[in-house]
Amino acid sequence: MVDEGSKPKKREGTTLWLLKIIGGLLIILLLGIHFVINHLVAPGGLLTYQDVINYYRTPIVPVMEIFFLVFVVSHSLIGLRSILLDLNPSDYLLKIIDRILVIVGSGASIYGALLIIFLANKGA
Amino acid sequence: MHNQPAPIHFWRWFDPRSHKPGTWAFILNRITALGLTLYLAMHLVALSQLAMGPAAYDNFIQLAKTPVIKLGELLVISAGMIHGLNGIRIALTSFGIGVRIQKQLFAGLMVLVLAGILIFAFSMFGGA
Amino acid sequence: MSGIRWNITLMVSRQQTDGPRTFQSFTLDVDPEEFVLDAIERVWAFQDRSLCFRHACHHSTCGACGMLVNGTEKLTCITPIKSVTQNDAVLKIEPLRNFPVVSDLVVDMGQFYLHMDAARASQVVGLAEACLPFEKEPFESKGKKFERLVDCIECGCCVSACPAAHTSSSYLGPAVLAGIQQSNNQTADINLLEMADHQDGVWRCHSAYECSAVCPSNVDPAWRIMDLRKKIVVHRLKNLFRRKETIQHA
Repeated sequence: MVDEGSKPKKREGTTLWLLKIIGGLLIILLLGIHFVINHLVAPGGLLTYQDVINYYRTPIVPVMEIFFLVFVVSHSLIGLRSILLDLNPSDYLLKIIDRILVIVGSGASIYGALLIIFLANKGA
Repeated sequence: MHNQPAPIHFWRWFDPRSHKPGTWAFILNRITALGLTLYLAMHLVALSQLAMGPAAYDNFIQLAKTPVIKLGELLVISAGMIHGLNGIRIALTSFGIGVRIQKQLFAGLMVLVLAGILIFAFSMFGGA
Repeated sequence: MSGIRWNITLMVSRQQTDGPRTFQSFTLDVDPEEFVLDAIERVWAFQDRSLCFRHACHHSTCGACGMLVNGTEKLTCITPIKSVTQNDAVLKIEPLRNFPVVSDLVVDMGQFYLHMDAARASQVVGLAEACLPFEKEPFESKGKKFERLVDCIECGCCVSACPAAHTSSSYLGPAVLAGIQQSNNQTADINLLEMADHQDGVWRCHSAYECSAVCPSNVDPAWRIMDLRKKIVVHRLKNLFRRKETIQHA
């Protein structure tokens, strides 16, 4: 009979890995849009404060940028976790790493989203 | 413990000697991943200038137009292309597509990256 | 043999368990068509009887003689001297990486063999199953059932070359994962998928493909790991939409 408590955690790989890969592919798409719009389509290439404010008036822009931010932060931190896992940390150290990554990731995403909303409101 | 797996041997990840294109791709992907993560943090901090009003942001943009920063941005774009295109290769091969031609895929993608770097370099510095 | 003679220097790693590694030089007169293992044997026979190294079949079936030759993993019984050095040059010989050193060029493969055992990797399988799907079968079976030895000779070269295995002792490694893929092909046993589906299994691989590059025996562990990943993802997706298949225990 298998003792559930002593089984190694088997399922920590597939889901996070799929999130990383699919996130990566979506980032390529969103980065392309972000880059083309910000630097080629947007008038002036968003090089002045007023250009940025005007740009964020269009509702789809803050939505797209928030999604982009969340995907990039997640992909980056899942990738960083993957590199750290290669160093074979103990379970205890991995718990600490996970907590730090969640705090940093949430913090960066919330900060970035608030900044985006702030800019969108400036133009409203 | 010289010959056994150990975290201190991480430097071996970045040693291209005696290795094949697959490992070079792995090395490039890892270095660009770390570089881009650092850039992400810097980018978020820099964009906080937007919250400080027009003068702060416009001052920052003046700084961003200096050659050193522009070179840094070119490095970031290069890293982004390397990481992104190699990521597509990894996504494909991880689902069994193109595993047997992974070396050729890497070579092809790196040609695209070089072309991209040249285009961006010309666009950013060519008019100067 | 060609009749040409080369004068080469073998720089051989000398080490006892975790002790310091030193290199000892031996000069040899060799025929470049001979194999690296022949040179090492001759060093042992005529110059230093204390040199420890492993060898058995001398024809790439037993997997005993895997070593680092000039920094690259090779099966020394089938590595011609002329392919790795030239006349008046140095040949550096070291033990495989990522295994504890027992003595000089001999490494402890015990843990590795235990994992291969857990993967239930067979030694003899049907001809079609032994070949990779994109390989042409060596001859027409004409409806008859043939069997052959599997390609993996458990030499450990892939483990030595793998960047993930450099830093993580808990990573199952390319050979074990390739063995799981082979076993799962034969038995469709989901226990094997579960064995590979975790952060020290297939998801620790970062697609360096060094394992396939150094494999002397056509196993293509990287291809098998990617195939295993596909199987695991399909298995997990199927489980999302139906009641989870339960693990059967004897």
